[in-house]
Amino acid sequence: MATLFGALSIAVRSLYAQEGALDTTSNNISNVNTPGYSRELPILNEAPPLDTGQISIGNGVDFDGVQSVRDNILELRIDQETQQQNQLQSYVNSMNQVQSLFNETEGAGISDALNQFFSSFQQLADNPTDIPSRQAVISAGQDLAAAFQQTGQQLGSIQRGVDQEVGQTVDEINSDTAQLAGLNQQISSLQGNSEQAGMLQDQQYTVLNSLSKLVDVAVTHANNGSLTITSTNGVPLVAGGQNFSLSTATDPSTGFQDIYSQGTDVTSSFTGGQLAGLLQARDQSIPSVLSNLDNLAAGIINTVNGQSKKGYDLNGAKGTNFFQPVVQPTPGSNAGAAENMAVAITDPSLIAASSDGTKGENANALVLANIQNGAVVNGETATDFYSSLVSEVGNDVSSATDEQESVGLVLTQLQNQRSDTSGVSLDEEAANLILYQRAYEAAAEVVAAINSITSDFIQTV
Amino acid sequence: MRINPDLTRDMLAGLALDRQQEDQAIQELSTGRKVNQPSDNPAAVAGLIVNNAQTSAVNTYLSNISSLQGSMQEADSTLNSVITSLTQAISLAVEGANGTLNQTDRNAIVQEVNGIQQQILGYANQSFQGNYLFAGTAVKTQPYVADSSSSSGVSYKGNDGVNSLDIGDGQAVPTNLPGSQLFTASGSDVFQALADLSSALASGSNIPAAETEVQNAFNYINAQRTFYGSTLSRLNTATSFLNEENLQLSQEQTNLVGADMATAASQLTQAETALDATLAAGGKISQYSLLDYLT
Repeated sequence: MATLFGALSIAVRSLYAQEGALDTTSNNISNVNTPGYSRELPILNEAPPLDTGQISIGNGVDFDGVQSVRDNILELRIDQETQQQNQLQSYVNSMNQVQSLFNETEGAGISDALNQFFSSFQQLADNPTDIPSRQAVISAGQDLAAAFQQTGQQLGSIQRGVDQEVGQTVDEINSDTAQLAGLNQQISSLQGNSEQAGMLQDQQYTVLNSLSKLVDVAVTHANNGSLTITSTNGVPLVAGGQNFSLSTATDPSTGFQDIYSQGTDVTSSFTGGQLAGLLQARDQSIPSVLSNLDNLAAGIINTVNGQSKKGYDLNGAKGTNFFQPVVQPTPGSNAGAAENMAVAITDPSLIAASSDGTKGENANALVLANIQNGAVVNGETATDFYSSLVSEVGNDVSSATDEQESVGLVLTQLQNQRSDTSGVSLDEEAANLILYQRAYEAAAEVVAAINSITSDFIQTV
Repeated sequence: MRINPDLTRDMLAGLALDRQQEDQAIQELSTGRKVNQPSDNPAAVAGLIVNNAQTSAVNTYLSNISSLQGSMQEADSTLNSVITSLTQAISLAVEGANGTLNQTDRNAIVQEVNGIQQQILGYANQSFQGNYLFAGTAVKTQPYVADSSSSSGVSYKGNDGVNSLDIGDGQAVPTNLPGSQLFTASGSDVFQALADLSSALASGSNIPAAETEVQNAFNYINAQRTFYGSTLSRLNTATSFLNEENLQLSQEQTNLVGADMATAASQLTQAETALDATLAAGGKISQYSLLDYLT
């Protein structure tokens, strides 16, 4: 049997529900510019009806908390693209520094020094007994050696800078995973659709997104709302309330930091995020450029020295090494050849321009000059080898940049899509505001009406 | 359908793109190059490096040629003087062969012939920028010295060496003729011929034979001298070829990395227009929402 007070309690329940809805709307409006915030919807349910014998009467509305509007798959896609984007970004940043060392469009650099060097031998052939011409060969040789030295040293210092960034990135990863483990613990202890759970989830996704910038992650959602996170190749990062810190240790053979997880070297297992980009530059691209540079330097040094020894100097003595000979750290490796390149002779009369010991004879100087057109490394001329080295660096940067641009477009699109779903629209919130306000007013009217009826009744009695 | 309520992201992405294009156009215009770093066009930069090496080689060849031209011209004009002197010697021989002359007259001619020999000795020791022109590759050794023990009165101290110089890729030219192939070649030794003429005139016998010997030496040097003439003309041809190549290389360089100013300028205008439009559109992104209309 329906009662007046029953109606009153339905109206009061409605007042509570509309208040809850208004709270939610107000919270949404407040967070309109909060990064990572997903809009919330009030969960309004029909209250279970009251059974009074044969008839059951509606029991109004229940406010069952709030729910964040979020597309988990979309969040995952955003994280994946973020990983790729940041991998490319950090790679391009590092390799841009490398390519600035090979800026041949300015007309300076190694190729210019190379041209001057061989040209100086041609000029020496012009006048093989001329001391200033001989001095010019030594200066040009020193310039060439300095160009190789500087480029080699700068490559090394870029590599060391990248290595430092690797260490910093690992620290940031550890701080993010620790935060996520903490959030996991908090979330799993909460139940239901409370505002707090929504807030913690928003935080989870914000930190996860920041972690995705650093490293590639694979995420598993547990029922209690906690996240299990590993790298895509299975390096454990977070499980429940526990995080697995990564550590670094200097590799004695390279001098760079290797990354360890639980005592295992996992340096080569990362495929995305800033970390992977840095590692790619540090362990692959820069070493490859450096080794090409070393091989080129060694090729020039060996060929010039070999030919110098075949000739005779101005005193009629057998020629000696023009450059300091290459010292191979291990057989077959020219590592350090560029960085240690130096001219071995200081006395201009020691240049072996003559092929028969006659002072004015120039045949050996001509052969030395023509090394420019002969194969010195990998069957290629120095110029050809160097030009392909530079174009390789350029290609590395330009293809990564292109890829970065296209990933950026995808990412913008995904983020727009995320906003489509989860972003706060003030228009929508305003409309909801009216809706809930009117409902609240109506429920209040019901209370007033019941008040008036009961008051009439009491007066009648 | 729900519409993305946050339009600023698209606008910012658009602005970044416009600014990047504007930046690119300005860089092209200010540097005059469309390729400013290897990643702008790796293939063009590789081509540029090869182009620079070729340009440098061409310029080196040109400088080789111009210094070679100096010594070649000097040698050529020296030989010209030698030929003039020998012509004089021949007319002296003809004069000496004249039977109306007495020994006193011939002795005077002997003095003249000896003077000519000294003159030619000086020519044969001619140097250019500190290097003897006719000493073979021993350019620091004076090639001819007076030597009383020699029948010709001089002896050759140079060598038979010939230097060469590159004037193009794979193109080398010999740069000198050693004195042993000019003045003291076996069979036509200038100094021997003049010495023989001198002693024939002094003794009054065998003058026609000595005259023939001088004539032969004259013919020989005249023939050898064409080496300098033909090399000089080869150098001239090479110079114009190399200048042409230089021009082509610099055109190729412009094609590889040079900016097309007209295109770059119109790209700049386009980028600026796009930027203006994006900014104007961005300024209009609704400053209003439904909330403004609820009172």
